[in-house]
Amino acid sequence: MPDDRVIVVGAGPAGMAAAVALAEGGQRVLLVDQASTPGGAVHRAPLPGVAPLGLPEHRRRWAALVARATAQASRIETAYETRFAGVDATGAVLLTGALNRLLQPRGVIVALGARERVLPRPGWTLPGVMSAGAIQTGLKTSGEAPQGRVVLAGSGPLLLAVGAELAALGRPPVAIIEAARPFGAGALGLPLAYLAEAARYRLRLLGVPVLTGSRLVEIVPGLEAMVDTPKGPRRFAADLIGLHDGIAPNDSGLGGPCPIPLLRAGDGREALGARAAMLDGTRAGLAMLALLAGRPVPPEPAALIRQRAAQARLARIYARDEGAALDALPPDTILCRCESRSRADLTALGESPTGRDLRLTGRFGMGACQGRVCGEWVAHFAKTRDLGRPRLPLRPLSIADLLAVPAADTGD
Amino acid sequence: MSGAFDWKGAAVPFRAGETVASALMRSGVRDFGPFCGIGQCQGCLVRVDGRVTEACLALCRAGALVQPLEARDAG
Repeated sequence: MPDDRVIVVGAGPAGMAAAVALAEGGQRVLLVDQASTPGGAVHRAPLPGVAPLGLPEHRRRWAALVARATAQASRIETAYETRFAGVDATGAVLLTGALNRLLQPRGVIVALGARERVLPRPGWTLPGVMSAGAIQTGLKTSGEAPQGRVVLAGSGPLLLAVGAELAALGRPPVAIIEAARPFGAGALGLPLAYLAEAARYRLRLLGVPVLTGSRLVEIVPGLEAMVDTPKGPRRFAADLIGLHDGIAPNDSGLGGPCPIPLLRAGDGREALGARAAMLDGTRAGLAMLALLAGRPVPPEPAALIRQRAAQARLARIYARDEGAALDALPPDTILCRCESRSRADLTALGESPTGRDLRLTGRFGMGACQGRVCGEWVAHFAKTRDLGRPRLPLRPLSIADLLAVPAADTGD
Repeated sequence: MSGAFDWKGAAVPFRAGETVASALMRSGVRDFGPFCGIGQCQGCLVRVDGRVTEACLALCRAGALVQPLEARDAG
């Protein structure tokens, strides 16, 4: 049945800012998140009694936003431990978990954040190999660094952030392997806030080898990281290896026909980081208010445009040849982690496989993650963008969750 | 509330508000497929009291029976 609320999916900086903008404009909101607390990946709430890890400036900005949301508590309902399965062609939104409903909201703002890109490498499916972001999520919640030797590898500022946080918790990483060479003169054009953040990370990482222009080319069981550096090969024994090759919008499965206003916000629209996400959430909230009232949508704020320019500069500083790294992978390298499909399995599909070949015959993108992890790499090797459109639901659902939806929501 | 859940016959302690994946990792268990840590890769699917869920999203409950996916598929 129709609902007078706007559903905001994701209670990170973008979703929270969108909810605040909507509520301050008089619109009732249902804010849902799969986690048990707000914050998203970047402002992940620590467990009770654990000191927060983030930089004070970031924490202040988030606390101020949460205070505005609290002031609008009469208009913002929250549903945590609740998962979003998508919006169908009738505008119905399926939620499962703590709030198990099929709702017909006035509009939807999707702020699902980023997905972490991780290039395939031989051995990346071994136990003890995770994304660097996953290690960071653990640090932020538990306030404890993992036991044993940690190696961080790939590319991007997140490697330095995670390394600095490990060091602050008393267990600095054994090494940071960075494919780009980001510490040249080009970095000086970044905004001061970015430079100050980088300087703080580097200070905490004194004594930790940060190997730039270097690639982790193989992980051997046991666990050992085999690294190509400009000065020749090196190997690092590790108990845990964190991989990270940047972020991209987590927008898989969105984009079908939808009769109600549906907007994306934050990293899920364009991966520009936490500062931009909050600005973009506000933008999306104001845009939704305008759409619902039949008014013209306001333009993007100048501050968001500045963040985009800063991120573009950051991307240039972190430039590296990913295509060459992919093309150098041995044929038996696993690309699809869900279905254990290798580069050779993809080659066997022929010169220019269609989306149908890739999915039906190759099983690429057919696993439980629906291609979120491997889609970009499969597209590279298959030289196609057509991997077949992901379909609803956005994530695997149990029949028990579907049966738990109240009958009143499903009509006939 | 804190407590412990069962994993392959061992009691895994957890802290209030902690996810199953976090508690397993802190106990040194790393072979349950954790990878992305944010519910996207589906690598860490486990059964919690029989229901399939991502270990990185599921909150711990005292006395819960947590099993690898294969445990029931094989049996």
